[in-house]
Amino acid sequence: MKENIIKALKTIVGSDYVLTNKDQTASYLYDEVEEAYRPKANIDSIVIKPKNTQDVSQIMKLANENKIPVVIRGGATGLCGGCTPVEESFVLSMERMNGILEIDRKNMVAVLEAGVTLMDLLEELEKSNDLSFPVHPGDEGAQMGGMAVTNAGGARAVRHGVMRKHIMGVEAVLPNGEILELGGKLVKNNAGYNLMQLLLGSEGTLAVITKIVLKIYPKDFYSATIVAPFENFEDACQAVMDILKNGNLPLAVEYMDKHLFVGTAEMLGLEWQAKKGNADLLIILSEKNERQLYEACKEINEICEKNHSYETLYAGKAKEQQELLLIRSQHYEYIKETICDSFDMAVPVSEVPAFIKDLKMLVREYDTNTNVIAHIADGNVHNDILYLEDGTVPSYASELKQKMYDICFSYGGTITGEHGIGKIRTKDLTLQKSPVELELMQGIKKVFDPNNIMNPKTVLM
Amino acid sequence: MNILVLVKEVPDMEKVKFDQEKGVVDRSSAEAEINPFDENALQAAVDQKEKEQKNVTVTVMTMGPQRAEKTLRDAYARGADKGVLLTDRKFGGSDTCATAKTLAAAIRKIGNFDLILCGEKSVDGDTAQVGAEVAEFLDIPHAYYVEEIRNLDHDSVQVTIENIGGDRQVRTMKLPALIGVTKNISRPKLPTVNRKLESLTIQVETITLQDLNGFMSEEECGFKGSPTKVSKIEIPKEVKKNNQVFREDFTAFLQSVTDVLTEKGIV
Amino acid sequence: MCKGMDNKKQRGILVIAEQSNGEIHKVSYELLNKGRELAEQRNMPLDCLLLGGDGIPAEELNYRGAQTVYYMKDSIFSTLEEYTYKKNIVAFIEEKEPEIVLIGATNFGRSLAPRIAAALCTGLTADCTDLQINDEGRLIQIRPAFSDHLFAHIKTVKNPQMATVRYKEFAEAKRDLKNLENIIFVKPYFKQTSKSTVDEMIALDDFDITEAEVIVAGGRGIRRKEDLAMLEELAKVLGGKVGVSRALVDAGMAESSAQVGYSGNRVKPKVYIACGISGAPQHLAGMKDSQVIIAVNSDPSAPIFQIADYGYVGDLYEVIPQFTRQLRKEDAVK
Repeated sequence: MKENIIKALKTIVGSDYVLTNKDQTASYLYDEVEEAYRPKANIDSIVIKPKNTQDVSQIMKLANENKIPVVIRGGATGLCGGCTPVEESFVLSMERMNGILEIDRKNMVAVLEAGVTLMDLLEELEKSNDLSFPVHPGDEGAQMGGMAVTNAGGARAVRHGVMRKHIMGVEAVLPNGEILELGGKLVKNNAGYNLMQLLLGSEGTLAVITKIVLKIYPKDFYSATIVAPFENFEDACQAVMDILKNGNLPLAVEYMDKHLFVGTAEMLGLEWQAKKGNADLLIILSEKNERQLYEACKEINEICEKNHSYETLYAGKAKEQQELLLIRSQHYEYIKETICDSFDMAVPVSEVPAFIKDLKMLVREYDTNTNVIAHIADGNVHNDILYLEDGTVPSYASELKQKMYDICFSYGGTITGEHGIGKIRTKDLTLQKSPVELELMQGIKKVFDPNNIMNPKTVLM
Repeated sequence: MNILVLVKEVPDMEKVKFDQEKGVVDRSSAEAEINPFDENALQAAVDQKEKEQKNVTVTVMTMGPQRAEKTLRDAYARGADKGVLLTDRKFGGSDTCATAKTLAAAIRKIGNFDLILCGEKSVDGDTAQVGAEVAEFLDIPHAYYVEEIRNLDHDSVQVTIENIGGDRQVRTMKLPALIGVTKNISRPKLPTVNRKLESLTIQVETITLQDLNGFMSEEECGFKGSPTKVSKIEIPKEVKKNNQVFREDFTAFLQSVTDVLTEKGIV
Repeated sequence: MCKGMDNKKQRGILVIAEQSNGEIHKVSYELLNKGRELAEQRNMPLDCLLLGGDGIPAEELNYRGAQTVYYMKDSIFSTLEEYTYKKNIVAFIEEKEPEIVLIGATNFGRSLAPRIAAALCTGLTADCTDLQINDEGRLIQIRPAFSDHLFAHIKTVKNPQMATVRYKEFAEAKRDLKNLENIIFVKPYFKQTSKSTVDEMIALDDFDITEAEVIVAGGRGIRRKEDLAMLEELAKVLGGKVGVSRALVDAGMAESSAQVGYSGNRVKPKVYIACGISGAPQHLAGMKDSQVIIAVNSDPSAPIFQIADYGYVGDLYEVIPQFTRQLRKEDAVK
């Protein structure tokens, strides 16, 4: 990076907030993709920490004039290499833009700077005791800006949908430094193309989001998690379908292969308490009052029993529920050493049982296995390809991946339900999307970012 | 074999709020729940029931307002056989001494307990006194910080005490005896959904001061019977972060850090 | 269920010393220090009761300020067992009638004191962090509750007024060899009970990171696994444990049992020293509730400095060893 550029950056944000030393920049290069299949970072990239929108605007102008790539870094909890700079870039780390600007109870919206973490937001809402925000991608270190541009999902999509459903407005900085206000506190707004929605899910390839107007909600005061063990996976799936039809919509329904529940619990020094069965569901309920909660519990329990579940377990205390969720969320630590690729496919809910069955049959052809973890009630299925026993990547890996995708497409599915394309699935995207659609995407990209400085090699190849 | 578990209802400590001005705990700010340490005591009792196969009955007792019966229902869901609630407006304002006397009176009245279990301490009061005081009022032996019930037969119990005077201690006590348990004694299990739903409909036995006639007098309970009185509550102001970052002046940094380590009693 | 004491005659402060395996617990000296302050305010004697087997240096308690040391010497007291201790201490108190009784809030003290209080039909305040005398000459016992969120000031309306005090809450009384040795040997009032027998005592091992009072934690700034020894040394001087950020676990330099963070151990020690940790939200979530946070990092913009009480911008490879040396030096001076 040229000396005069660094000097200019230091004038904009102050010399403390431009990191060029490789020891220091090293912790700003990757997200949480496993080393084995993450994109390789360009270590000559430098890190800049803007304080406000004006800083961002000036940095973007400088980058655009000098055609230097810009990668925005939020909480770096992503799983597709989105915030890894693969060319010599400016890495804009948003952590200093962490102001909670407004909690507007009248309109039930929060106005946030992009660097506010999910944890900051939840803590702020907790203070009021009756507000909440439902989308939870698992790691509360995630930042709002990141959650917006990646259109984050998570387990609670069953009831609450994904991030784009909850964003009403954004402030964004274009590559040329222009500042745009899109949307706002309006519930209805039908004026022209919805550019805000275009930015959500664009993974930092079109503009820098600096502020967000986010919907907030009244809090549910009562929650419980049911552990429902089934002998057969098909019965578990049927129970999920029946629960979705029933009307008592759970907050989330999670499935994981039994050995993952048991093994992860053991790794954490805990014990998986559902001893019987081969297919366990975690059903998370959240209701306004206690009566509704127990009613939902009763109905769901009856549905499970009707579908031949074993004795279901009840976690009512916050601590008990957190423990179950911890086991669910930490499974990755348990398997990460054994997998060389992982997926985020999604299919229509009704096709989940057939889809998973086909995946399991497919890997058997290769004499291997695949771990299945699913947000089963929204059709989002995570699975993986395992290393060979000697720790090498199997020669059939890409062929197997292709076949998995083919199965997914045959059920009308997508290659990514929530993690996004990032840098690790750009090639795969071309398998799913028609040339016409890809061409439109490229056209849009050019309109926003003619010099292609915004997070190059992300989403589009 | 009759096992009694003493439990306390406490506010959820992660949520409870404090009114700095008035110097009071805002109990409405958080849902009441069973004291986490008592869950381990309850599970330890239920474990004995499952292990011994010799007709163990687990009773859970608590003292508090009527709503505390919720805690007893929860205990039922987790495997207790029945719940006893000591509730009376005259019990209000009890310190540990009066609380222990009231519990001891009720235990005498019901009679016939072989082993009494309680948690290490409560997360709200954090005194860890009631158990030993109950033992004293009943004149039975007790052990605290018990991490394991090694053996339980019809006339004695052998326990392992986690740490006393820097040693782990194995002790045998004649029954009846009282033990205060640590978190290591058991791993609380989840109730089944069916048992949880059933617990919402069970009968909870209630004991009032009148029911304790002959076992304790009105003077001995509640505020009147409490030798300790709270004269003031202080809520410390939230400590503001010092947030001092040193750059070149290493000596000053070292001095500040050494000072704070000294203040905290570390060095 | 118990009969109380007459409320007027009692006089003096009694500290019940604790010993284990013949060694006097330091909390006893701390109690004597506070006891001395209270005794002077009330112009009362400060005495000490010690129960134990043979060969305990009881005169130490004189040197630390006890006017009379009552040494109840018998081999039955070599094992810590509450029932026998209680019987003897209660009989002693009933005879000597002190106005204030102080006991260390060690595990044994916390278990023993309530039994004594109940037997004497008096109140007891556990884990006091301060003791004062009010205008009427009564003892004000100050203790934290609700996980230290509040402090209650408590009075006892009966005698003796009893309190237990946390270890390391007060400074130890200074050792003064000019104090007169004054030891009175007392025969046990009661011998062992058959109700409760100690079968075995086993010396103890280690504790886990969430229990540590001090955590010295390393992050990406640590270059090689061997360099963690530097943090171990500092932790040793401070009586703490070493923790790590996720980066070091991922790099195979540390076990996940030492990991601090949202997905590791959530800790709140008295003092957290972050060395070369930039402070990713994941990590901050696991340690931000520590009482005091000290951070050393070469990057002045590292988020850890936002939440640190004391930060130093510099190379931890220079700072940490120097810090350890300095602490050792001070230790040696003492």
